Amino acid sequence: MVQLSGIANDTIRAEIEEFLERPEEIERNVELFSRASPEMQDIAAALIEGDNVTVDRLTSKALADGVHALEIMDDGLIAGMGIVGIKFREGYVFVPEVLVSARAMKAGMAHIEPILAASGVEPIGTVIMGTVQGDLHDIGKNLCIMMLRGGGFTVIDLGVNTSPDEFLAAVKDSEARLIGMSALLTTTMPNMARTVEAFKDAGLREQVRFMVGGAPVTPEFGEEVGADGYGKDALACVALAKQLALDVRR
Amino acid sequence: MTEEQYPRLSGEWMTPRRRFLSALYGGRVDKVPAMTLSSVITLEAMEIADAAFPEAHLDAEKMARLAATAHENLGLDTVMPVFHSQLEADALDASTWWGTKDNWPAVDDHVLTDPDDFKVPSDYLERRSFRAALGAIRLLRKRYPDVGIVGKVYGAWSVGFHMVGIENFLMDTILDPDKIRRYLEVLLPASMMSAHAQLEAGADAIMWCDHANRELVSPDMYRDFLLEMHQQIQAEVGGPSILHCCGETTDRIDYFAEAGWDCFHFESQVDPVKAKEIAGDRMSLFGNINNPTVLFSGTYEDCYEACMTVLNAGVQGVAPEGSVPLGTKMEVLAALADSARDYSNAHRPDGRFVTHDPPVAGSDS
Ligand code: B12
Repeated sequence: MVQLSGIANDTIRAEIEEFLERPEEIERNVELFSRASPEMQDIAAALIEGDNVTVDRLTSKALADGVHALEIMDDGLIAGMGIVGIKFREGYVFVPEVLVSARAMKAGMAHIEPILAASGVEPIGTVIMGTVQGDLHDIGKNLCIMMLRGGGFTVIDLGVNTSPDEFLAAVKDSEARLIGMSALLTTTMPNMARTVEAFKDAGLREQVRFMVGGAPVTPEFGEEVGADGYGKDALACVALAKQLALDVRR
Repeated sequence: MTEEQYPRLSGEWMTPRRRFLSALYGGRVDKVPAMTLSSVITLEAMEIADAAFPEAHLDAEKMARLAATAHENLGLDTVMPVFHSQLEADALDASTWWGTKDNWPAVDDHVLTDPDDFKVPSDYLERRSFRAALGAIRLLRKRYPDVGIVGKVYGAWSVGFHMVGIENFLMDTILDPDKIRRYLEVLLPASMMSAHAQLEAGADAIMWCDHANRELVSPDMYRDFLLEMHQQIQAEVGGPSILHCCGETTDRIDYFAEAGWDCFHFESQVDPVKAKEIAGDRMSLFGNINNPTVLFSGTYEDCYEACMTVLNAGVQGVAPEGSVPLGTKMEVLAALADSARDYSNAHRPDGRFVTHDPPVAGSDS
């Protein structure tokens, strides 16, 4: 079995020891980071600390040293964001810390994205995300987007106050077949159902998968509106997206 | 003693206004107040008052009529005309989307990137959002001298969300804390002027909203950015003050009490027994009936039961946790006042609180 002591970076070791509690998550992260090179661990550690300048510097250095862009993304950036997501879920850090880490992630991805795009590496999927019509709460949706990007997805962000027609148009204009809807108001939750209906009317319901979330939304409500899945938080959103992406892979 | 020997008196001992204020200060009351602190406006109320969103946000008469339904139709001890959260931000040039009949207003563009660029406009209190709200408070004061009027203010922290954008604002709490302190410093006068103007127009108390809940920030953040400022507010606001902070706040109620708020309006995620334990008699508690499951999706009985739970925890007053969903049924909201009456009846030494209502045959046990 891989050991915590197999991880070179002090910050990463301390983070795993201090903040991870679920055995399967400890195991997964110990395994992941012991496999990752010390340079990738440094990138992950800087990302966890929200240090965008260091992430930016280390990412370009690694690329210059010939490290593959995918390796930097998976073992550095995504791995670091995974720890941030768990700390947020468990209440060790709060929205500001996640936003700052996401900023660091962006600094790294700015180097990675053009290379991946040019080399034709496929993202694991594309997700359309929007807060439903009448609702302007977007913090939760944006965190989901950051974690989705951190999980290797491409995301088309429709912003807030998104009408069923705008969701439809986004699907028609893109390759994306996975849709995430967020609602924080009881008054706007029915607009999730309206959006699903609009896809039925347009004859597109079978081609797409819907995820729903937001504080007042429940799994039962998700079922009621005909969604394909419900996610309680940003990590659950990524897990769900990965699962639903298999259905719509094309 | 039977009903025949001692017929019920009519008339309450306290006016709703006195009851509200006494409870706010943790004093004794003839009946625990049932209140609107955040909005209790519903689509049904808009029909009754013949005054609807979005017009009612910017028209004093419609706003007053609509606000009055809380007392007239729901029997609540207070009215609260500032239904939306845009009062200060709109008058500070943040662009507002005023919503629709069945949708809430919100900011749709953030205008501030540097605290040093900020100035309270000279005609701030004469702008459209204030004209309507202050006008409505004056009308309500004239029409309801005996009903509690709640004024609502967004504090510097929450106005900051509107002006700067919530994500930039929250990020700078870590990246540039001094900039946030500066934002709070320059925005505080705008909130304070709003509070003073509402009190002067006739509000009995100010509900001060600063959203520093667990869903957003740590309790340390409240301590570091807001505690001292909130203490300063107590000295300067010039009226009874209720803090409103949505979300899970159990881990910071102690700080709220330390800040000196007279009362805290709390959400359903907070266990009222625990809240009471922490607040002690340093600060009154009003709350915390759940919006989505109890008021919106539940029945009269669900609401009644939720009210009894929070009343039994010993809070000083019962109210929805936040602005109720617009599709909520008034029939469900009616349980707020009914439960407060019944609870008070059951807890008086003589077993009975005296009400205006003639006793209903069979219902008096
Ligand atoms: C911040 C906030 C605001 C800010 C919003 C700023 C912004 N840009 O988002 C402001 C101050 C503008 C605001 C305004 C209003 N608000 Co507000 N607000 C909140 C508050 C305090 C926190 C919400 C939040 O950001 N949480 C943090 C994030 C991280 O959590 P989250 O959104 O739940 O997201 C997580 C999960 O749900 C999930 N998730 C989210 N989306 C998705 C999507 C998918 C696909 C998946 C899988 C998962 C997922 O992952 C996220 C990360 O873990 C809540 C209180 C609360 N208890 O939630 C009230 C609250 C949501 N607001 C409420 C109300 C009533 C309003 C107003 C109507 C107030 C008024 N009278 O004007 C207006 C409405 C404006 C509008 N038209 O939308 C009520 C809603 C009641 C209801 N259920 O109907 C709440 C619950 C407060 C209350 N107790 O009354 N609000």
